[in-house]
Amino acid sequence: MADGAIVLDRVSVKFSPEVVAVSEVSLQVGSGEFVSIVGPSGCGKTTLLNFAAGLLPPGVGSGGFTVGGKPPVEGNRDIAYMLARDALAPWRTALENAELGAEIRGVAAAERRTRALDLLDKVGLKGFEKAYPKQLSQGMRQRVALARTFALQTPILLMDEPFGALDAQTKLQLEDVLLSLWQRDGRTVLFITHDLSEAVTMSDRVIVMSARPGRIVADVAIDLPRPRSVRALQKDPAFHKLYAHVWSKLEEGLSS
Amino acid sequence: MNDGALPRGPAIWIGRLVILGLFFGAWEKVSDLRLIDPILIGAPSGIARFLWDGIFVNGELLGDLGWTMLGTLLAFVLGSLAGILVGMVFVTSPTVESLLNPIFMALNAMPRIALAPLFLIWFGLGLGSKVAVGFSLAFFIVLSSTVAGGRGVNPDHITLARTLGASGRQIFAKFVLPSAVPVIFNGLRLGLVYSLLGVVGGEIIAAEHGLGQALQLLAASFKTNGVFAIIILLSLVSMCIMTAMNLLENRLLRWR
Repeated sequence: MADGAIVLDRVSVKFSPEVVAVSEVSLQVGSGEFVSIVGPSGCGKTTLLNFAAGLLPPGVGSGGFTVGGKPPVEGNRDIAYMLARDALAPWRTALENAELGAEIRGVAAAERRTRALDLLDKVGLKGFEKAYPKQLSQGMRQRVALARTFALQTPILLMDEPFGALDAQTKLQLEDVLLSLWQRDGRTVLFITHDLSEAVTMSDRVIVMSARPGRIVADVAIDLPRPRSVRALQKDPAFHKLYAHVWSKLEEGLSS
Repeated sequence: MNDGALPRGPAIWIGRLVILGLFFGAWEKVSDLRLIDPILIGAPSGIARFLWDGIFVNGELLGDLGWTMLGTLLAFVLGSLAGILVGMVFVTSPTVESLLNPIFMALNAMPRIALAPLFLIWFGLGLGSKVAVGFSLAFFIVLSSTVAGGRGVNPDHITLARTLGASGRQIFAKFVLPSAVPVIFNGLRLGLVYSLLGVVGGEIIAAEHGLGQALQLLAASFKTNGVFAIIILLSLVSMCIMTAMNLLENRLLRWR
């Protein structure tokens, strides 16, 4: 698999002289690492992710930014991007939706069908291949979106609060699904969330950002053993210690 | 029949037939007793005889119906194709739209039936002028629904497509077009009804054949039963068209 590293060297994003979304952020995400970015809303988390995906308008971002060894570019084939909303096409079945990304990237029909079927099975949607999105619950729809994202088989996954719209129970289930998919072939994940518990549960490292203009105030290593069980962690004292630590860092960022 | 549940099955149909029977019975009686002059309201028995003769005995109505349907079909197909094509150009090129849209709006503001005499001069007494009236109605209806449908694309789909590196053509074919189809369909349904309206309107003004022309002739000679017969025939045809469109829509848009 190609190089999955993401390197930010004093990256800033200014939408206008007054609106500085991100200020001088330096960060290295190693190949295969699961890194979460947490911070108050408006701290530029999503802006950083959009920068990595090449979605920012030209000229607003500055500094050294490489994603998989390349500068950020729209449509980078090393990247799969997952949004907070599922963005499923309502006129396509679950299977056709899971294939959609690979289809646009020109993966051969038989190959993308195999990948989509395999992933729908892995996310727990076996038997729902022919269902249209309106027949699926929100959690199931986001499972399809996960399948679509992983079917791209990219070394890098960018996820912008992918479970932000789900209820607590469904969220825990999907975190487990994501962890097992990630465990399977170890891709680099840059994961945006405002949910500290989610960040600590999933990540190798949690990056804490301050309020706008966003800066990094802490880089916390999460040394909980893997593979992790999302449910078991909720009762683990080590988990709660890390959670409290990240929380205090977040508060420092808010007050500074 | 359960309390609270909607009545179903033959009962509701019997009820409807009873209402219609009472209505036509009263009409017949009023006409028979000359409570209202039969020149004004005709009589259901006379209308039925006229329809029977025109359809099964001498076939005159069928011939006229054929001409009207042919004109409607041509106006609808040509108007819809042109409307969808121009609409798609508008959706993909805002420059063309801002250039042409005000002109088209002005054209669409013209009362089309007032143009019919002009179309008669240009295209003659035959089918051409009727198709022109129907076309001029259907075109603008389908055009505006196509533009509305093309605009209604989900912004999340565009973001997703951009991160996937979709080409302009892929975005159009895989997101813009399919999401526009339901709205275009509403325009098509309306366009078909207005095609019929335009053709019949044109026939009433001047024609060689068609139900509108027959209607005009009958009314001019105070053959009220014949006028009612044609009105009933036209509404039956309209209802058949709507039902056919609904069936087609339910088939094509199962995913909704």
